Amino acid sequence: MMLDDDPLEPELREAARAYHQPPGEPPRQQIWAAIVARRTAKLPRRERASRWWAVAWAAGIAAVLAIGVGIGRLTVRPTASPSRAPAAVPAAKAPRKEDVTAYRVATAEHLGQAEAFLTLFRSSVQPGDRERLASSTARQLLATNRLLLDSPAAGDPRLRLLLQDLELVLAQIAQLGPERRGADVELIREGLDDGVLLRLRAAVPAGATGMSVRSRQGAL
Amino acid sequence: MDDRVLIARVQAGDASAARELYDAHVDRVYRLVYRLAGDPDQAQDYAQEAFIRVFERLSGFRGEAALGTWICAIAVSVALNGLRKVKRLRAREADLEGAVAVSSPHRQAEPDLKARLAQAIDDLPDGYRAVFLMHDVEGYTHEEIGQALGVQPGTSKAQLSRARAKLRRALADFVKG
Repeated sequence: MMLDDDPLEPELREAARAYHQPPGEPPRQQIWAAIVARRTAKLPRRERASRWWAVAWAAGIAAVLAIGVGIGRLTVRPTASPSRAPAAVPAAKAPRKEDVTAYRVATAEHLGQAEAFLTLFRSSVQPGDRERLASSTARQLLATNRLLLDSPAAGDPRLRLLLQDLELVLAQIAQLGPERRGADVELIREGLDDGVLLRLRAAVPAGATGMSVRSRQGAL
Repeated sequence: MDDRVLIARVQAGDASAARELYDAHVDRVYRLVYRLAGDPDQAQDYAQEAFIRVFERLSGFRGEAALGTWICAIAVSVALNGLRKVKRLRAREADLEGAVAVSSPHRQAEPDLKARLAQAIDDLPDGYRAVFLMHDVEGYTHEEIGQALGVQPGTSKAQLSRARAKLRRALADFVKG
């Protein structure tokens, strides 16, 4: 440690502390989600599921979406009195380019995972067979789906409609239990055959899913 | 936890270790890049880029410096490079617009010590500014600054002394004695 033989005058040192002073807490979750998104995007499709980035990705999406949804809800909350000066409310900031990209990537990943899950569900789940595991996966996908529905990602009317239909199917699968079998599974299959799966496939860009074939099989 | 154990876990693919490493250093990194950039969006971008590089280069960490100092070195390098690009862009815009000042002109009109000092710090050369902010504002040692900026501690000390001298000259009417 070197001795400081030329210290800055106390008043200057004090004033210097105010220079570019960080305002409060750093946006830890947002930075982390962006790191995970960029790392995941860099990986080839097959490698994604084997890397920890892919594991962290789900948490990252949830964190970003939760923050986005929270901010969105706060900014659209109506004021108690219409006579209040609107100038007191800070103007809503347009989403940054990176945020829009993050939502787009998150949506593509989610649709890819939902498509893989529903394809396997349709082809492999027999009434009474492994519903619990399918329900648990469906619940996870349902949580992300709901966050996406509340996010700017749902601004596109076609995508919103798809997410709403997907929500219905995922909710049905999430509620599957040993006491509610056969007929329910058939109903869900019919719903999938009615076009949800087809529209999902059309909406998923090539390479969007983070699930490898092995982990897709493991999902059920 | 020992840094080496943490790094080994990250390299073995342990997601929680990666998050642990990030959590342990993100506050310091963000503070530092915010001090350099003075803008939340830029600070977020620089912190993000810094950690991406940290994870990419983790296998190259030899332990000559503390992990925190190594991470700060990457963050400072990312921020200074980013700020140079911003400066070049602003200078180009200023050229196009005519005689538009590159730095915040409103500060010059304010007779307040903090505003004048802020302007004087903005006007320091990048290296001096980084050393000054790291040492006098964020409390880094000359050894840490030397490792972060890739210079000898003596060079850091000399740069700090010159930075302070420039600030004193710029604020002569505020500094007594």
